[in-house]
Amino acid sequence: MEIYIIPLLFALIAAIAPKNLVKHVGLVGALSSLVVTLTQVVSFSPAETVTLFDPNFITSFGLTFKMGYDGMGLFMVLLTNVMIPIILLSNLNRSIANEKSFNSMVMLMQFGLVGVFTAMDGIMFYVFWELTLIPIFLIVLWYGAPERKNILIKFFIYTFVGSLGMLLSLMALGTYAKDFSHESLVAIQLVPKTAFWIMGGFFLAFAIKIPLFPFHTWQPTTYTVAPMAGTMLLSGLMLKMALFGMIRWMIPLAPEAMADFKCIVITLGLIGILYAAIIAIKQSDIKRLFAFASISHVGLIAAGIMLFDKETLSAVFIQIANHSLVAVGLFLAAGILEKRLGTRTLSEMGGVAKLAPKFGFWFAVIAFASVSVPFTSGFIGEFLLLKGLYGYNWMVGLAAGTTLVFGAVYTLRAYQLSMYGAPKMESFKDLTWNELLAFFLITVFILIIGVYPQVVIDFVGPSLDKLFLSMQASNTLIP
Amino acid sequence: MDALIVVFVTGLISMFIAMANKPAYVLITAVVGLSTALVLMISSWFNPAFIQITYEGLEFDKVAILYSVLAMSFTLLIIVGGYSYFKKEVEHTGEYISLLLFSLVGALCMIAFTDLFMFFLGLEILSIPIYVLAGSKKKNILSSEASLKYFFTGAFATGILLFGTAWVYGATGSFKLNEIALAINDGTAQGPLLSIGVLMMMASFLFKVGAAPFHFWSPDVYGGSPNIVTGYMAAVVKLAGLFAFMKLFTFVFGDLHSLWSGALFGLIILTMFVGNLSALGQTKFKRLLAYSSIANAGYALLAIIVQDFESVWNLWIYLLGYGFAVIALIIISLIVNNEDDDISAYKGIGRKNPLIGIVMILALLSMAGVPPLAGFFGKFMVFSSAFNEYPVLVILAVVNSGIGMFYYLRLLMTAMSKEDNEVVATLKPTIMQYIVLAVCAVGLIVGGLITI
Repeated sequence: MEIYIIPLLFALIAAIAPKNLVKHVGLVGALSSLVVTLTQVVSFSPAETVTLFDPNFITSFGLTFKMGYDGMGLFMVLLTNVMIPIILLSNLNRSIANEKSFNSMVMLMQFGLVGVFTAMDGIMFYVFWELTLIPIFLIVLWYGAPERKNILIKFFIYTFVGSLGMLLSLMALGTYAKDFSHESLVAIQLVPKTAFWIMGGFFLAFAIKIPLFPFHTWQPTTYTVAPMAGTMLLSGLMLKMALFGMIRWMIPLAPEAMADFKCIVITLGLIGILYAAIIAIKQSDIKRLFAFASISHVGLIAAGIMLFDKETLSAVFIQIANHSLVAVGLFLAAGILEKRLGTRTLSEMGGVAKLAPKFGFWFAVIAFASVSVPFTSGFIGEFLLLKGLYGYNWMVGLAAGTTLVFGAVYTLRAYQLSMYGAPKMESFKDLTWNELLAFFLITVFILIIGVYPQVVIDFVGPSLDKLFLSMQASNTLIP
Repeated sequence: MDALIVVFVTGLISMFIAMANKPAYVLITAVVGLSTALVLMISSWFNPAFIQITYEGLEFDKVAILYSVLAMSFTLLIIVGGYSYFKKEVEHTGEYISLLLFSLVGALCMIAFTDLFMFFLGLEILSIPIYVLAGSKKKNILSSEASLKYFFTGAFATGILLFGTAWVYGATGSFKLNEIALAINDGTAQGPLLSIGVLMMMASFLFKVGAAPFHFWSPDVYGGSPNIVTGYMAAVVKLAGLFAFMKLFTFVFGDLHSLWSGALFGLIILTMFVGNLSALGQTKFKRLLAYSSIANAGYALLAIIVQDFESVWNLWIYLLGYGFAVIALIIISLIVNNEDDDISAYKGIGRKNPLIGIVMILALLSMAGVPPLAGFFGKFMVFSSAFNEYPVLVILAVVNSGIGMFYYLRLLMTAMSKEDNEVVATLKPTIMQYIVLAVCAVGLIVGGLITI
């Protein structure tokens, strides 16, 4: 229960704390959540399933309130509670860190994210899923760039409508199942036609949040106008909810539709990989460039999820962690450039590495991780994902493999244009201690996963086995 | 029944105590009286034989008690929250409060009726004070328009209702609900006489709850009436109307489902789209609220068309979420106190007063159906119980929730904007208004979870 209470409590404390203390309150809150999660990780053996909350009570419409985690759930919780302190840390020298409402909203966000990853009831999942939308909306509304208003409405309506699709699917499933708990929902077996629509509803919600190719139009603009912390939360954590949702909810609940959906999603993912990568190469705005890069990377992850075999899914989790770390790192670099130079345009940058060698070094490290150099976490994740896709269809594998080439092109182009050449500015303040520490921590995690990916695979593996088992056990056929 | 008498007597007392020219006395009388009535009502849930006063036209069964408690609590909140407005004109304070209480008596009759005669009486007792209250800003031309418009159209609808009742009486030979239901069930009553009667009654109900195409009065009446009366109309009048609608059509005319459900099906779709699409372009706060209440009536009618006993409970949760949200918004509009009622007047009130901002966020998001607020659970329960029989309606309702999000969000962004150049007038909420807002906020947060 502590992993829910602490963020909520600190959200309240941050809202009423005196202004000069508020950034410490946020950091303490995030760190205490991390400590609690670490104790849970230590006492956790990957094969078990832990129930956090179960009142043994079913409401009239089937809500069971069940919360709990297995290996993959705890992995996501750990990721959340590692990333939130890093995000807060990297913002410490900015004025936003002194805002009560910002710290409070980040804590609320953490509460929502932990809830999403530990929900064992369809309605609870939906509730927490929607709950995360409110803090990010307010953070962008309060601290975003001046042109944010219409962009923000587009973002909110887009994601809200997507979630309504998920709600419809849950309602439809609810008419067949005895309650909304995960096992009851998994246990029902649908005819493929019904399953198609049910998976379609979930897919709408997740495809918009990830975002997959035709549903991505909200993403570059929102990432651009959001403050740095907002972009980090969106790309580092919120889109992982959708990837996790696909694994935990969408596919196990309607596996009968996999035959129809596999091809669609993989195609969309593939289009996203290529299309977003090509657009990213041409971008002149560094934040937009990284936004498109993110679409390209998650397209690969989404395509990998649809293969739904154990090896690829383990790779998906490695890649989820990798993408969180790299995206936060890249947007931190972009944020530093934007703040120090007052512009996001690449052509107005240049020569920063000469003036700020420390920044040049750490940005390079993150950039290399982003292009999946061996010994970084991206290498092993992308390698396994591409291997899986190649096994599915060699042409798909080949096309998806271009992500490595394109990824190198746009990342290194962004790095080169901003960091090399003749300096176009008088001076550039090098990294402050908190930014340095954030880069350092991100790099440490990237290297740990890159050198020893087995730790992730072993952590999530048993829970994946159990998920497959529970899906095979479902046998009550419902039209 | 005893609670009903207490409410009525409280109304009488508060009317006469106003002669003392001390508005506080009126408030105290009303609050004490209503609270007593609430306690009596709740105790009759647990102990039906406590004080048994019966009248054959009224029966406070458990369902009626549930809805009555909701109506009484809403009225109490409105009276307490609106006190700062009532006491502005000392000589009229007593009239405002006693008229609201009399109207509540009508609402309770409409909730507990067991024959059509009592129902009609309740409807009139409910409506006539509202006609007066709508026009209570005498010097304001919009208020007079609202009163007149509401009176004429309302009287017309009542006429149709009465006409329909007469046809039903002609077909079944009784005013009593159980006898009508019996006559319909065993087939002694059938044919065009009954059909025409039922459809006429449905039309006037749709008018009362403000469903399209009988909705044209509501933006003008909501917009012109004093804010607090608008809140009462949206929260309590709608509650009584929808419950009476459900009582008659689910339980009494249930066997004629095939007759009226087709028409209702089309009108629900029309109501939802008319309400939401018209709300998109509104610039006045109360007109926006009126259109949103039309859309909400559309969602609530889903609970009536499914004809399911659980719907009684689903509709209750739905109305609870809606009522608390509407009351919170109306109290905020009282605090903002903008003569033009323009949405731009709400700019930055979240920054000016974070507490009000939080309540406003909760109210708007609950109305839009964002979990885990009461509005979400209400919508979810109503929609999911309708999903089996009417998937098309539910999908359209969900699409409409998406459209609705747009205008709620715009209002939310206006209220929460933090830009420095947007100056707002100072807000001076009274302690009592804070209390009402706090109650509404708590109701919105925990309301959805009191599922039995």
